[in-house]
Amino acid sequence: MQPKTRKMEIRGLSLSFGGVNVLTDISMDLFEGELTAVIGPNGAGKSSLLNCISGFYHPQRGKIVFEGQEITGMDCVERSRLGISRTFQNIELYDGLSVLDNLMSARHNRMTYGPLAAGFYFGRARRQEIEHREIVEDVIDLLEIEAIRQKLVGGLSYGLRKRVDLGRALSTQPKLLLLDEPLAGMNKEEKEDMARFILDVSELRKTTMVIIEHDMSVVMDISDRVVMLDFGQKIVEGGPREVQNDPRAIKAYLGMGE
Amino acid sequence: MSDTLPKLLLRNYQAYGGSRVALREKDRGIWISHTWKQYYETVSRLAVAFRAMGLAKGNKVAIIGENKPHVYWFELAALSCGSAVMGIFSDCSAEETKYFLNHSDASFVVCQDQEQVDKILAVKDGIPGVKKVIYWEEKGMWNYKDDLLLTMKEMLETGAELERTRKGQFEEMIGETHGEDPAALFYSSGTTGIPKAAVQTHRNILRMVEMMDRRHPVRESDESVSFLPIAWIAEQLFNVAYSLWKGFTVNFPEKQETVPEDIRATGPHVLLLTPRIWEEMIRTVRVKITDAFWLNRVCFGAAIRVGSRVGDAEMKGVDAGAIWKTLRAVADFCVFRPLRDRLGLSRVRLAYTSGTAVSPDVILYFRAIGVPLIQIYGSSECGVATMHPRNQVKPETCGTPLDGYEMTLSDAGEILVRSDCLFKGYYKDPARTARALDGGVFHTGDFGKFDADGHLIVMDRLDDLQKIGSGRVFSPQFAETRIRFSPYVKDVLVVGREGRGAAIALVNIDPRNVGLWAEKRRIVYTTFSDLSQKKEVIELVRSEIGKVNAYLPEWATIGRFLNLHKEFDPDEAEMTRTRKVRREFMERKYQELIDALLGEDDRIEVTASVAYRDGSKGNVRSTVFMNDVTGGAVR
Repeated sequence: MQPKTRKMEIRGLSLSFGGVNVLTDISMDLFEGELTAVIGPNGAGKSSLLNCISGFYHPQRGKIVFEGQEITGMDCVERSRLGISRTFQNIELYDGLSVLDNLMSARHNRMTYGPLAAGFYFGRARRQEIEHREIVEDVIDLLEIEAIRQKLVGGLSYGLRKRVDLGRALSTQPKLLLLDEPLAGMNKEEKEDMARFILDVSELRKTTMVIIEHDMSVVMDISDRVVMLDFGQKIVEGGPREVQNDPRAIKAYLGMGE
Repeated sequence: MSDTLPKLLLRNYQAYGGSRVALREKDRGIWISHTWKQYYETVSRLAVAFRAMGLAKGNKVAIIGENKPHVYWFELAALSCGSAVMGIFSDCSAEETKYFLNHSDASFVVCQDQEQVDKILAVKDGIPGVKKVIYWEEKGMWNYKDDLLLTMKEMLETGAELERTRKGQFEEMIGETHGEDPAALFYSSGTTGIPKAAVQTHRNILRMVEMMDRRHPVRESDESVSFLPIAWIAEQLFNVAYSLWKGFTVNFPEKQETVPEDIRATGPHVLLLTPRIWEEMIRTVRVKITDAFWLNRVCFGAAIRVGSRVGDAEMKGVDAGAIWKTLRAVADFCVFRPLRDRLGLSRVRLAYTSGTAVSPDVILYFRAIGVPLIQIYGSSECGVATMHPRNQVKPETCGTPLDGYEMTLSDAGEILVRSDCLFKGYYKDPARTARALDGGVFHTGDFGKFDADGHLIVMDRLDDLQKIGSGRVFSPQFAETRIRFSPYVKDVLVVGREGRGAAIALVNIDPRNVGLWAEKRRIVYTTFSDLSQKKEVIELVRSEIGKVNAYLPEWATIGRFLNLHKEFDPDEAEMTRTRKVRREFMERKYQELIDALLGEDDRIEVTASVAYRDGSKGNVRSTVFMNDVTGGAVR
């Protein structure tokens, strides 16, 4: 096996709101092309960890290094430019825009033309628009949402909106993709589809991914590594099989004593 | 002489080159055009690669996939090698696919994507004859490693390499194709028994196209849309062969789900659809109109009346008179033109329906809104045998025989076809071939008659005819097609029994339209099965069947009916892949319900096993009510 390149390094991350310690001294590494699952009971700090990585929250202590560059002090926008993208647990799309426009909006911070050029659609505006549309169309093809391309997001089913949410994150062409419960609230068929798309992305684009997921069967199937949190602390880390059989993990999830 | 499909491709390449578009597909949101030159070059590469892999004259190549230019490329490449092609319906199961592959002795399989490849790999050990499986959509298959697999890209590279070293090989190969070579195997839908494969030669196929064109000529500048299953002879005739013969452009929708939008974007001049799809269009229009503002409803109603009047006259080939024609022009401008545009039919000059029987009302309706719908009768064995003539469209008939076809009736009323382009027999099935081609005449197995003008009226499959009452012959399909015209009925099975005065009907309501109808009336429902048994819904279906009863002969009216608690489903073998009801199978399956309808009970408890989309099976318990068509509600 070839040595794994480290994509992100998280060291001694601590986050608290008032007196509540949400994350305590978390250290972990993300490796190039790997799919890391973060699991843990409700309130374990999974989403907070993701928010720290994406720049929504700023931890009191610790540092985050992305591709050798420290990003702890950067805000969401800067991190997004570096190639960190995410989806949300509660879908955050523009309901009044079409699927296509939602995906195109993900490209906006790479568009460099002004409103005048855009209005008349010439020169750079035209060139860039075509270029971005091609990237977006690749995502549409990958996620098989051709049929809803021009539909308003507000009128779509929950499962499809989740897919569009993933599509928007992919449209930024991320180097690191953070997925916050991408399968929550879906039926079996939708889950299978979504899991397949996530695997497709991982296989085709070799994107490094962090996924928060409760469905253990899915986690076991798709992840390369699993990190388990409980009460803001990292309890177990390792391959899916190891974690599944780890007594500490079983205890945290099922609440059983020795 | 261009007597084979590859020779026509060569002819078109020489005649049009890069100046005309042959195939146009929508991919990644954009319509991409392939000229005759590109068509020819792609086929050339694939063909020499095929030859290098050992595809020889007389071999078979199976193609499984949705309609895409790739299908055409591979088909023509295989034909250029002197091989025959056979399409397999893309929703066939792995086991069915295995049967087709083994029965046809296919040596290569061309698949669209992962879904199809997975199916083949699942039965890999059971198909020793298959040398390679070629696929063109690589999505999800980046990590597949199987010696059986080959991508289209790799094949094109091999082909390009070979072309450089051996110039002119493809032209030579085309030169070696012969009109009498088998070109295609058509597995018949098999409403009864084991599927059989009708063998058609290049010459036959081209002759069929020529005869069709003689009746209703298509223009070189026309556009058509390809989305009917490629395994079906209609698609092979109307698009693959016809476009090569005439040189018009074939358009391919992006996905099955986007077909209506893509048809609208294309604006085809020639369009062949199955009765189901035409019916579905009308259903949608009618439900939308019922939902519209009252003024719109009144205007639409008036326009339809004017349209029907003029449409009637047109069909009979008589003059409707200046007043009606003027009114029609107004109605057309205000109502029909926008409507046709919405349906994607604004440029349609030739609209065909084929596959199963269609209700005359469907033809009348489309004629009224200015779509010249024509009914066709044909089969895998004889191609298109009849069509409506231009100025004599009788909606209840299938029209008159085309040139080169001679049709008669046997003593039992079976339709017999004589022509010089009948099929060459069923593949590896001499017994059934002998029966079907007894005396050099094709026995269609359909029951029908001719009217005074020589128009063919197809009643039903001979095997499906039933006796009713005092033993009179009764055609369930006749009633079924008419009931299906209701926007609220998606499918229906009609059964008649000797000794019983009236027929019975098992109705599959249209969940979308009935659902909308119920919502508007604030009727609360949960599942399909719940909706189907609502008192109001039963009332609705009752009135719909009542309307049809008025048209049926008195001795063949529908007496009792029930709304089925589940939908008919090809996945459960209730219908063929082209959505024809498998009558015998269905009557056995629903024996209990049919007995109950024929009996006295007013309700029955049923446990139905259903196959879910993910392949698992489950049981659903529900109560189904029996209802009289006349008289009060049973409940």
